[in-house]
Amino acid sequence: MNKLSSRRDFLKLITNAFFGLSGFLGLGGLFRFFSFQPDPGPPTEFDLGPASDYPKGIQVIRLDIPAAIQHTDEGIIAISLVCTHLGCTAEENETGEGFICPCHGSRYSKSGNVLEGPATKNLPRYRIEEQEDRRLRLFTK
Amino acid sequence: MASPRRSKQARRLLLLPVITLGLGLLLFVSSVASASPAPQTTETPFATVTPTFDLSRLDAPVTADPPGQIDRGAIHYWGVCMACHGDYGQGLIPEWREAFTEDRDCWQSDCHGPDHPPEGFEMKKDNLAPPIAGPGKLASYSNAFELYQYIYETMPWWNPGSITREEAWALANYVLKLNGTRPEGLTLTTTNGYAVPVHRTVSLPGKEWPGVLVLAGVLVFAAVGMVLQAASKQTAGTAVLPKPNFIHHLHPPSIPMFQSRFRYTLGAGGISVFLCLVLLVTGILEMFFYIPSAEHAATSIEVITTLVPFGNLIRNLHYWSAQLLVIVMTVHLLRVVLTGAYAKPRRFNFLLGLALLVCILLLNFTGYVLRWDEGIRWALVVGTNLLKTIPWIGEGVYQFVMGGPEAGPAALTRFYAWHIFGLTISVAILVGWHAFRVRRDGGIAVPPPTKRVDKSRITRFELVRREVLAMVITGIVLLLISVLIPAPIEQPLQETSLAASDSRAPWFFLWVQQLLKYGDPFIWGVLVPLLVVLGLGLIPYALPRAMSEDLGRWFPRGNRIAQVLVVLIILVITILTALANLPIFK
Repeated sequence: MNKLSSRRDFLKLITNAFFGLSGFLGLGGLFRFFSFQPDPGPPTEFDLGPASDYPKGIQVIRLDIPAAIQHTDEGIIAISLVCTHLGCTAEENETGEGFICPCHGSRYSKSGNVLEGPATKNLPRYRIEEQEDRRLRLFTK
Repeated sequence: MASPRRSKQARRLLLLPVITLGLGLLLFVSSVASASPAPQTTETPFATVTPTFDLSRLDAPVTADPPGQIDRGAIHYWGVCMACHGDYGQGLIPEWREAFTEDRDCWQSDCHGPDHPPEGFEMKKDNLAPPIAGPGKLASYSNAFELYQYIYETMPWWNPGSITREEAWALANYVLKLNGTRPEGLTLTTTNGYAVPVHRTVSLPGKEWPGVLVLAGVLVFAAVGMVLQAASKQTAGTAVLPKPNFIHHLHPPSIPMFQSRFRYTLGAGGISVFLCLVLLVTGILEMFFYIPSAEHAATSIEVITTLVPFGNLIRNLHYWSAQLLVIVMTVHLLRVVLTGAYAKPRRFNFLLGLALLVCILLLNFTGYVLRWDEGIRWALVVGTNLLKTIPWIGEGVYQFVMGGPEAGPAALTRFYAWHIFGLTISVAILVGWHAFRVRRDGGIAVPPPTKRVDKSRITRFELVRREVLAMVITGIVLLLISVLIPAPIEQPLQETSLAASDSRAPWFFLWVQQLLKYGDPFIWGVLVPLLVVLGLGLIPYALPRAMSEDLGRWFPRGNRIAQVLVVLIILVITILTALANLPIFK
C-alpha cells in the first residue's frame, strides 16, 4: 500500500510537471507573440527641398517633422519642436523670436535653449545633409 | 560559385546587351548586334571600357544551387533590368553609364537614339530609368505586393507584360534586397506580399514547428502520466477521495459507468466545449493584431500569418478548431438522436443545442468574412443576397445585416461586432445554459434505477480525468493539423472583382450552394435550410420517443423514425456537399 501510494505520488508529480512545463512553454510563446510590434513608427528622414528655398535669416516651421528650419550664421539648421518636457509640439511664441509649448508653458529661445520651465533640456538639433541632387535631407535619427 | 570560364562568358554575354542598351533579352542580342554597325560589339569589348569602371560589377550574380526565389530574381535582374537600373539600383546615372563607354549617352547613340535598329526602341533623355534603391527611393510603394504589381504590369519598360507572375515576385524580392530591407530567408507569395514592407526591415519568425512539436510531446507525456495514474488508482481499490476542486464541482459527484464510456458519448459534447475554449483564447489573441477595417483587414491577417511569432500557429488553431467544431457538434447531435437522449425532460435542452449549432455556423461564416480577402468575395455577395429574396422583409433584413446597400466597410464592421461580441456572448450563454440543463434534467440520459443492468458508477474525479485526457488528445490532434495545414488567406478584397477569385461558399455551406442550383433562390437557399433546422427542432416534440428503460444505449427501438430522419438529413447534406464536388480544404 505504501509502495503503491508513493508510486502514485511520483506519477502525479511527473504528470503535473509535464502539464506545468507545457504551460511554461506556452507562456514563452505568448511572450514572443505579444512582443511583436506591427507599427512601423514615424519616418526618420524628411525631404526639405533645395537649399535655395532657405534664404539667410528665414525660419520655416515644418509641423510634419516637427521642426523649425532656420538659416542662421551657422548655415541651415533644424531645431526639433518636440518639447523636451512631455512631448507636445512647441509653437512660435508671440514675437516669433522663440518657442512656447502649449501644454505646460515651457519657453525656449529661438536657438532652442530653455528659458523657462517646466522643461529642463534644450530642444535638440536635427542633422541636415545635402544630397547629390542638391536637395536637403533631414534626419531625425 | 561560377567557374572562371563561365564568368568570362557571362561577362561577354552581359556586355552585348549593355552596349545595345536595354535589349536585355539575351535571345535578341545576336541579331541586334549584327544589325548595329557599332564596331566595339564584335572584336575586343574589354579594351574600350574606361579603366575607372570596375568590370567585375558586370559579373553574373553568385547564386545558390538550386536557386531560390531571390536567386532567380538576381539572375533576371542581371539579365534584363540591370542595364538601365544599375548594378545596385542606382538608375541610369552618369556613374553607371560609364559602363557603356562611347555609347554612354544612350538617348543619342545608335542604340536608343532616333535611328535605333528595328528591334530596339528610342529613349528620351528626360525619361531615363529611375533609381530603385537607396534612401527616399520607391517612396510610393509601401509593401512588396505593390512593388510586385508594378513590376508585373509595367516592366520591362520596352516590353511590359512579358514577365510571369513568379518572375515579378522574384524581382520584387531582389529589389527589396537592393534596398537592404529584405528579411533573411524571405520567399514572397500572394500570402505575405502585403505584410513585407519596402522601407523597413522586419524579421521573419523562425521555424515554429520544432517548438510546437516539443509542446505536443510534453502534452503526450502528460496524457500518458494521467493514464498510468488512473490505472494505479484502479489497482489500489477505493481510496479516500480528495477534496473536489472548482472544476470537479461543475460535475455531478458520480455518474453511471455505462453511460460515461467514450463509445457511448463519443466525448462530442466535452470536446465541443474544449474547442470553444480554444477558439475563445486564440480569438482573443488574434484580436491583438487584427484590424477590422476594409483596407487593413487582410493585410493585418497577413502580418499575423507571416511576421508575428506563433501568429501563424494561433491563426491556424483558431481556423481548424472552428472547422472541427462544426463536425464534432454534428456528431454530438447524431449521438443524441441515435440514442434517443432528447426525450422529455430533455426536449428543451435539445433546442438549446440546436441553437448553439446555428450560432456556431453563423460564427464560422462571420469569421470567414473577416478575412476580407479575394477568397470571400462571392460567398459574401451570394450569402447575403439570399436575404434579399425573402418576400416583403428581405431588403430590411439585408440592411440590418450589412449596414448598407451592398457589401462594404460597414458590413465588415457589423460582421466583426457580431463575431467578436454578439454571437460569442450568445454562445457563451447558451453553452452555460446547455450544461446547466444537462444537470437540471438529471444528468446524462439513463434508464430508471430499477431497470439498470449495471449499476456501477464512476466518481467525478474519474470523469474529470477522462475529460482532460480527451482534451489533451484533441489538443494534440489540433496542434498537428495546425502545424501541417495553413488556414487560407488571399490578397485583400479589391473594389473591382478579379476573374480568378473563388466562387465557392465555405465548406459548411456548400450544400446550400448546391441546393441553389435547383431553382428559386428563396425556396432552395432560405426556406429549405430553415425547414431543416425546424425539422430537427421538432424531433423531440413531434416524433415518437424511446422508452425510458431503453435510454442510455445506442439505437433504442422507440424512436426509429427520428433516427432515420436525422441520418437522412445528414446524409443528404453530405451528398450535396460532395456534389458541389470541391476539395474542402482549398
